[in-house]
Formats: sequence, structure tokens, C-alpha cells
Amino acid sequence: MRSTWGHLRLGIALAAGKWAGVLSRWLRRGDGTSMPGLVARRIDPHVLTRLVADSGVPVIVVTGSNGKTTTGRMLTALLRAEGLDAQSNASGANLVQGVTTLAVEAADLRGRLSADVLVAEVDEGTLRQVVPELAPRVVLTLDLFRDQLDRFGELHAVSDALEASVRALSPDAVWISNADDPLLAYLAPERTERRVTFGLELDRSTDRITSAADSIRCPRCGTDLVYDRVYLSHLGAYACPACGLHRPSLDVAVTALELVGIAETRLTVRLPASELVLRIPQAGVHVAYDVAAALAVMVGLGIAPEHAAVALAEVRPAFGRLEVAQAGNRRIVLGFVKNPTSYNTTLHALASSDEPKQLLIAASNTPVDGEDFAWLWDVDFGVAAGLLERVTVSGTRADELANRLKYAGVDLRSLAVVTDRRRALDLALAGIPPGGQLTILAGYTPMLELRALMYERGWVGRLREA
Amino acid sequence: MPVTGPGSDYPLLRIGHLYASHLNVAGDGGNVVAIERRAAWRGIPTETLPIQVGEDHDLASFDLLFIQGGQDVEMAIVAEDLGRKAASFQRAVAAGSVIFAVCAGLQLLGHRYIPATGAAIEGIGLLDLETRGGDRRFMQHAACEVSFGDVPRTIVGFENHSGLTELGAGVRPFGRVIAGAGNNGRDGTEGAVSGTIYATYLHGPILPRNPWLADFLLRSALERRAGGPVSLSPLDDEAEDRSHAETERRALGNRGRRTALEPARLGRGLPAEADS
Repeated sequence: MRSTWGHLRLGIALAAGKWAGVLSRWLRRGDGTSMPGLVARRIDPHVLTRLVADSGVPVIVVTGSNGKTTTGRMLTALLRAEGLDAQSNASGANLVQGVTTLAVEAADLRGRLSADVLVAEVDEGTLRQVVPELAPRVVLTLDLFRDQLDRFGELHAVSDALEASVRALSPDAVWISNADDPLLAYLAPERTERRVTFGLELDRSTDRITSAADSIRCPRCGTDLVYDRVYLSHLGAYACPACGLHRPSLDVAVTALELVGIAETRLTVRLPASELVLRIPQAGVHVAYDVAAALAVMVGLGIAPEHAAVALAEVRPAFGRLEVAQAGNRRIVLGFVKNPTSYNTTLHALASSDEPKQLLIAASNTPVDGEDFAWLWDVDFGVAAGLLERVTVSGTRADELANRLKYAGVDLRSLAVVTDRRRALDLALAGIPPGGQLTILAGYTPMLELRALMYERGWVGRLREA
Repeated sequence: MPVTGPGSDYPLLRIGHLYASHLNVAGDGGNVVAIERRAAWRGIPTETLPIQVGEDHDLASFDLLFIQGGQDVEMAIVAEDLGRKAASFQRAVAAGSVIFAVCAGLQLLGHRYIPATGAAIEGIGLLDLETRGGDRRFMQHAACEVSFGDVPRTIVGFENHSGLTELGAGVRPFGRVIAGAGNNGRDGTEGAVSGTIYATYLHGPILPRNPWLADFLLRSALERRAGGPVSLSPLDDEAEDRSHAETERRALGNRGRRTALEPARLGRGLPAEADS
């Protein structure tokens, strides 16, 4: 039994957290995605465990470098389509405060959770802290890219954190993992039961190994891996010629894939007991991975995704994932970029048409976005450099972006450096003719800031609409 | 792009990018780009050859060699291969090739790297230094003062290493720490210099944000090729200088702080944002 004081403390923590969320949204201090968790944890540091682990509501943890938010949205849609009340931290607030906010907002003031299941997107760096507090029923590991290296030191430090989380799972929990990622495939090799794999099984490669690709060496013996297919960066069908490590067999496989412009992906997915033909209203090979991952979770939960086609057809791009907004008679395309892979994916999509482009690119040093932007030098800006008519760089590291673009061959006469986000947005838009398009590429914090400015002007909806 | 100086006056500069595929973390490839671009803007022809594990080249035929940062797993693979290239490396040093080493490259050019657990990784001993594995990682903006040029200069970058390096009597430090941990967080030295070998822990990558250093290396390599003094025409370095100034400002905000492992602490201690 919990003490009276424990109850009271939890109640105060929840009330204060919920109020903080209302206030922060009202005052437009952020989007209220972290404040409730932050405040509630100050009052009751164990609030997350009390709400989640003690309630018995199953938690699904979604983690990895890329695709957490999109996959979380797809999974939530799949669960809801099967009649479950699924709640998620869908806006990408995936540090400890954001995850706590999810639980605080899903609970009533007595600490009872109304949801059937919680989908928690968790940052890789927060796993070690959050997983023990959540005691998840399912952990989904999406991929490992060179994401914010300075926060973790090395890629291997992140894989160690993932492995520790998998090893800490209770025996009846399920681990869902991307078999196409060599670094994930060799994690916790002793765990062969209650493990579901997903990946792509196409008749052609959709990418090639470039310098931006990570971990193309065997995680067991260090020999260069040989790829039969390369699908996205270092994801693919691989084998080690020296020690024999190879891609595990797939429980959930994308067997056909067609990208239609920047707006649609058509794919066929093989599940253990069925085959699905799907149309997703966003484009990219990464979308295929996100779909496969979300479906693999359903397989792991033992829930037949009978309404998958309808549910997934409604999942539009998440926050800043090539989201399209209308600014009067001008179009704005928002691209959330946080590492070489997400940059390169977006730049390649941009370079697929050869009309001149106008860009606003923003990067800022923040605890979320990281201090070190060295990885900007691994981004293939060269593919688009010749197509850039005008570029405005912004954020607290506008200086770094400008210098990087200079060395990528962007003409300095077409480059404007405007640190302030509001002035940068105004300047960038002023150069767009009616009917024209501005593409924004920004890291997490500057994207939130730019999106807030666009919300003020009625160009985009609220962030927490998911 | 500014192109100054007559191209025909310069010989072809040969650049060797050692282990371009294995040692390629933290955007260090940007250092090679910086040299190539700054040469091209002046009409200086360059040729860059990636030199991978298992490939045999006469290193003395290169004017400028890069050996840069990598992760532990890659470092062990490279160390084994580097042993086979040691004699070639020594000939390059004797022939005056300019060598620029960063982080893992610095450690591998030293005598050895002794991890906290496991066997020592042998270096090739071109630099009189030795590195031990430490129990914390230095990750922060950093600045040091170097004195191998005409006047003392401030060099800025981002350090990201846990190895603790001690310099022997046969090398001088690359710089004196102004902000950051330097070689070991203790003695105020950063990197190492010996003859035409310049080794540092600083990533960033550092050459695009320290154009003076980039030009120093470029000129040294050109002089080796030309066999006499070379002068470089000045470039418009406004973007580089701005990146230098902002990195320096952030490094000075870190002064006195030795480690920044915890992400939540990274934002603290900085002066107010330079936003308008």
C-alpha cells in the first residue's frame, strides 16, 4: 500500500504538471510537451514509475537514431484502428521530461491511467534512465546512425545503451529490431526468444554505401561487410566474409516498394500470417522501414493489424518531415534535419528536380540539438549546391552553416546569414515569388521556433495534433 | 568563388588521405576539403588519394598526409595496418612531407595506446608520446594558443576523447590550452609537434574554422614540393573568421570545465546567445 503522503504527493505532482502544461501552452513557452513532466518530476521524482509500472498499462518504447516520431505515429494509428486507446508523446519530446509528460497527461489526478497502451518515443541517450522507470512490455530499436556524436562520444556507446536496455527487459517482454542494421543485429545475441525482426527484402538496392554511412564493418570481428543490397545508408542485406555474421531472417519484410514523388510510398509487406499492400502519404525508403517497424510491433503484441491499410493511409508526415504548409500564396516545405542521413535524404529529394531552389537552413546549439556540428561536414551539400538560387542560414550556429556551405561550393553572393529566426523567415519569404516555394531545413529547436512563428501566422496547426 | 594567383606558377600538390574510410569520424574529412578548396581558390592544382587499409603507397611521394579521428574499433584495425606502413612513414618524414594528425591519428603516431582493459595498441612512434585510456570523456569546445607560426595564434575546435596523452622530451606541444582539457586535462598541453608533423586532439573540423592553420599547412606542403619559399595570396575569410569567433566564444564559455558528458549540462555556463 502506498502511504497517504505518497498519494498526496503524486496528486500534487500531477495537478502541478497538468497546470504547467496548460500555462506553458497558453503563454506559448514551448508547446507544453516537456513542462508538465519537468514540474511533476520536481515534486515527485518517482512519478513516472508510480503512474506506469504500478498501473500495469503496457508501454511500448520506440528508440533509435531515425524514424522514432514517424514510427510512433504509425504504431499509434495501428493500435487505435484495432480499438485500443493508445497515447503517445507524438511531438518528438523524447527526453525524460517529455516521456513523463506523456504519462502525466494520460493520468487523472488520482494517478489512474485512462489509456490501454502508451507508445513512448525515447531518445537513445535517455534510455538508461527511462527504461527502468517504464518497465516496458515492448522495446523497438529502429536503427543506429551517427546522430549527435558529441552527446554520446561514440556510436558504440549508443549501441551499448541499447543493448543494456534489451538485457534489462523482463523475460515476457518483446524486443523488436531492425535486422538490416548490422550494429543492431549483433546486440544481445543471447536473446533469441521473444524477438521480432523487420527489414526490407527487395530485388534491387535503393542506395549505395557513401562516406556518410556508419558501421559498415562487422560488429563482431571488424572486417568490411559485404552487401548484397543497400537500402538506406548502412541498412541492407549484408554478410561478413570473415566470421560469417549475416543479416538475420526477417519476420516482417517489405517485399515491394515504389516511391511516388515526394508525397506517397506504395509497398507490400509480408507478415508471418498475412501480406499487406499499403499506400502511405509520405515518401522515402525510411518510410518503408517505419511501416515495417510499426507492423513488427503489432506482430510482437500478437494483435492482427486488420485495419492497417486504412489506418496508415491517414498518417501524414510528422513534425517537419517534409511537411507542406501554405503561407498565403507561397508554399513552405519543412524538413527536420538532425544528422547526415536526414540531411542527405532531404537534399537528394530536393535535387531530383533541377529547378532553382530557395532554402532556409537553421542550426542551433542546445542541449537537445547538441554542441558539436562537425557532422555537417559529412553532409553531401554538393548535390544541391548548383541548384541553390538563394540560401538564408539561421540559428545560433548560422556561422557554421555558412562556412560549411561555402566549402560545399555554394556561391557566397546567394547566401544570407541571419541568426535571428524571425528575421530569417521574413527575409527568406520576401525573396519567394507568388506561387513559389521555400524549403526549410532545420534542427529540432530551430524547427520548433520557426514552426511557432508559422503557427502565429496561421500557416500551420498546433504541434500536438496527433 | 574567389580565384586568385596564376595557376601555372604552382606545382601539383599531392595529398594522401590515410584511412579515409576507417578514420572518418567527427567530420574530419572537412580538413581535406579545406586544403583542396583553399588551394583551388588560388589556382593551385591538387590531387588527393585516399589510402585505405591494405593499400601500399610510397608515402614520401605525398606533400601532405592526413591521418585523423576514428572510433576504438576502427582504430585497432588501422593500428595493425599502420605497422606495415611504418617504414614508408619514416621515409616521408625524412623527405619533409607535412603530416597532419587528429585524435586517433595523434595516438597512433605515438608509441602506444594503453586502454583501461585489454591489450595495448602499438603506434609507430613517429611522435614521442604515449596515451592511456581514461575513465571520462572530454567533449567540449576548446581553444589553444600555437606558436609555430610567425606570431602566436589562437586555434579553436571541439575535443572529443577519453585518452590521456603524455608528451615525451622528443616533441613540443602543438599548443597551450586556453580552454578545454588538451592532452590530458592536467598539464595544459594540447597536441604535439615534431619537425613537419602537426598533431592535435581538436576536431571541428579545425581547418575550415582556422584558415590561418589551413594556409600554414598548405604553404609548408607547397614549399616542400617547390623546394623553396612560397607565398599565398590572401583570401576573403569572412565566413571562416565568423566560425572561428563563434567557436572561440563557446570555448571560453567552457573555460574551467573539464568534461561535459551529461547532455543536460551542455547548455550551461555559456554567455547569452548572440541573437539580435
